[in-house]
Amino acid sequence: MKSINFGIDLGTTNSLITKYENGKVTIFKNPVGHKDTLASVVAFRPDRTLVGDKARELLTKDPINIFANFKRRMGTDDKFYVVSLDENVTPIELSTLVLKELKQFIYSGEQAEAAVITIPASFDTMQSNATKKAGMAAGFEEVVLLQEPIAASLAYFNSRELADDKEGYWLVYDLGGGTFDIALMRIHEGEMKVVDHEGNNFLGGADFDFGIIEQIIVPYINEHFEIENFEQELRSRNGRYESLFYELIYKSEEAKKELSHQGQTTIEFDLSHEGTRHNVAVPVSRAQFEDTINLRVQETLKMLLDILHRNKVQAGDIEEILMVGGSTYIPFVRQQLQAATGIAVNSAIDPTTAVAIGAAYYAANKYYQPKNNNIVLGQNVDDLLNSLTTGEDGVDEAYSDWEPAAVQLKVSYSKMSKDVEEVLIIKAEGALDSKSYRIIRSDGGFDTGFVPLRSKFTEFLPLLPNINNTFYLRVYDEDQNEIRSAMEEISITHGQFNISGQPLPQDICIEVDDKDNHTTKLELIFEKNSILPQKRTLYREISKTIKQGSEEQLIINIMEGDRFARPLSNLVIACIVISGKDLSSDLIKGSDIELHISMSDNRELHTEVFLVMTQQEFKNVFSMSEKQVNVDRLKEQYIDLENEIRNSIKMFSTDENDVWAIQANDFLKELAQNKAELFKLQESDRTDAKYVIAEMLNRISKAYDKLGGEDRLERLRYEYFEAKEFCENHMAMVDFRKEELVQKFQKLIAGEHHVLISRNPSILEKATEKINDLGWDIHWNTLSYLISRYEGFKGLSPDQFTNYSGVQAIIKSADAALQGEKYYEFRQHVYNITHLLVHNDYKVKNEDFKGTGIG
Amino acid sequence: MQQDIQLINQVFEIGQKIEQEQLAAKFERNFNKIYTLFEEEGLHCINPLGEKYSESRTDCEASIVGAGGRNMKITKVIKPIVYRQQQGQMVLIQKGIVIVE
Repeated sequence: MKSINFGIDLGTTNSLITKYENGKVTIFKNPVGHKDTLASVVAFRPDRTLVGDKARELLTKDPINIFANFKRRMGTDDKFYVVSLDENVTPIELSTLVLKELKQFIYSGEQAEAAVITIPASFDTMQSNATKKAGMAAGFEEVVLLQEPIAASLAYFNSRELADDKEGYWLVYDLGGGTFDIALMRIHEGEMKVVDHEGNNFLGGADFDFGIIEQIIVPYINEHFEIENFEQELRSRNGRYESLFYELIYKSEEAKKELSHQGQTTIEFDLSHEGTRHNVAVPVSRAQFEDTINLRVQETLKMLLDILHRNKVQAGDIEEILMVGGSTYIPFVRQQLQAATGIAVNSAIDPTTAVAIGAAYYAANKYYQPKNNNIVLGQNVDDLLNSLTTGEDGVDEAYSDWEPAAVQLKVSYSKMSKDVEEVLIIKAEGALDSKSYRIIRSDGGFDTGFVPLRSKFTEFLPLLPNINNTFYLRVYDEDQNEIRSAMEEISITHGQFNISGQPLPQDICIEVDDKDNHTTKLELIFEKNSILPQKRTLYREISKTIKQGSEEQLIINIMEGDRFARPLSNLVIACIVISGKDLSSDLIKGSDIELHISMSDNRELHTEVFLVMTQQEFKNVFSMSEKQVNVDRLKEQYIDLENEIRNSIKMFSTDENDVWAIQANDFLKELAQNKAELFKLQESDRTDAKYVIAEMLNRISKAYDKLGGEDRLERLRYEYFEAKEFCENHMAMVDFRKEELVQKFQKLIAGEHHVLISRNPSILEKATEKINDLGWDIHWNTLSYLISRYEGFKGLSPDQFTNYSGVQAIIKSADAALQGEKYYEFRQHVYNITHLLVHNDYKVKNEDFKGTGIG
Repeated sequence: MQQDIQLINQVFEIGQKIEQEQLAAKFERNFNKIYTLFEEEGLHCINPLGEKYSESRTDCEASIVGAGGRNMKITKVIKPIVYRQQQGQMVLIQKGIVIVE
């Protein structure tokens, strides 16, 4: 035996499906649109069948082919004639379609073999049997029915801890979108049952929305505008204001929701009158809204009191009123109930999902015998043994059921597209009669509904821009059960030409400041191999203040090359210099800069720079044939490279890597030969000198990156992993700022993949350096390390401090802090001592860093 | 409703009001930036105004004016379509509320 676990609220207006698992109830969302609910509406359109919200949309337009509220007709011999099919459908068949659609919500792919389906308390035997029949037709092997008020009560009782000996009466007040039900419930000697019920199938939230239009908006318009027959033009089909009517229905519903938690709201809309467009804002107060719904709420109250009177139950005997249905969110409804009956109103459960949740709780304790005996993980042991004792026969039987797919599909489509939609051509073979297909886009934005299968057909698939769009094509048999073997997954990438356009041979990047490291870095604009034309807008901040009229510059360098390389190794293809003299006012650090960059098919680069603060725009066009060199930036790049090589030589010497050290030294010498000439160059220089030097720098930079080849990269990767391992091993011992350091570590290793695949030593070096810095941070926040360092400092000679007497005073305080176990204070003292140490920074940094001005 | 979607809806509504006052050109840059910022957070806002409408478009909740038919267009957008991009996949998180004629 297996527990049923699945619960279904098969509602008049909306339906839901839930599942009980491990003490929790999951509400399955509609894969199309990701809503909890499915509209209980079926549309038989000329070429397809739709179930749910899309079907509801067309309800007023095609009423002869679209069916809603069929739940009210369950158990009758009513048949609906569908014009487009030229045949009759029964309420059971319509309910079956809704149930099958709900089964598609189960994203886990699990087959729901049995379900608890809820029915109104008012359903008689015929209606109940009809519901059960619909469930069986939808493919459930077992269907258990449960009355809605009991389901809602179960959801409530399971949401709180209760004493076992619960006894007494309560009411379930269910005011939904279109229907109202009230049930008197009782638990007596451990049994819960519906004592009596009452309802109105034409009373609900939709009436309240309409009340706002009719009683508030229409009088307002009549008072402020002289429009002949406004209400009629609004409400009638093809009326002058029909479009406005739909807008107002939506906005009234929004206003109603807002008025549940605020006293006043405004409904805003445009109204065209005598050729003029007016922006109308109708103020709506909660009191006004309550006036519009008062009569209908009183109607529900009367039913409530009738039911009590009829059953000779005093209001005082009722423990509480349980609120179910979306319209019970309205505070006025709750207040009126409380005031008129004096009974406590309970809104502890979500009124829209309570019935479905209760059904799942009930399903958890209901069991059924599955028909097939396949062994499934998680089945109970007895079942497993039983199925094993049936021997091999059972297995053979299962295999003998297997048949090749009844339908074979051949699909053809373009895997890449630049268009807003792409055509899919499908050829189907096999027994196609009465079979249908359906295509859904995985994000939920497209659904064809059930379309009859033909031997050859096409569908236009709409594509979301610049992303891979996945569609699922599924085939269904005559009972709308999926033929799983025929499923096709269709993947179309939008944004790439089918016929290859011209791809970019290199990354296109912009040089931006990396203030922490006193250098610049590259930020990607267009990725290598992306297809031209391309355009992009970058939003950055100005990283230094540039005074109007000054010589200070903002340098926008656009480069072609490898985005992971240092800027110097890339080729500058565009350089825009904006100096203080170009500005209409001061440009303050932190103000915004917008860069619109586009590259045409023939690789012409267009830039538009907009300075938000000064509201100035600078437009440029660059063709790739001209080299762009800015002398100031070149000088800085020179210093950068020189420093980097110097640092490397020191590292190589430490590691006893003499061959590399010698080669690096040669680079340094070559750099030095051009230094004097570069530093006397002026921006206005008209000779080729700057190009010659730029070329030399670019060449040395690239050669330096290649120095040591794979060995150097291997060694750097090894150093990186060593630094990382050090951090991992020591993180556990950290005593201060642990959370912050862990986060910092995770952030650093998040981009590790790019670092490790890079063939650029400087990227690996920088990444290792950052991890090493963190390693030091970890040390300096570990108490045991701090104590050992502190002891070391105490043993140093006076000449190793800049102010020895100051150090003596700090040592005294530190000893006291350590003695008193004031570790935070102790840490601070140790930090202070380090500031007084005479030490040599072995790294060379460009402290006079100016950069590009773009942060 | 999630606050980020509410924020998008407000920005969208402000944009529509500005357009009615024919001031859109003045604010274009600001709106572009705002929507780019949303996109950086993975939220893609689509205004389907003027696009073709058919019953297989499940990214919108439509009210159909007139008789409806094969060549319907979206003539008014009350709320935009919002997708969230997560792990390279798009997920529809708000259907557009539209009027179709």
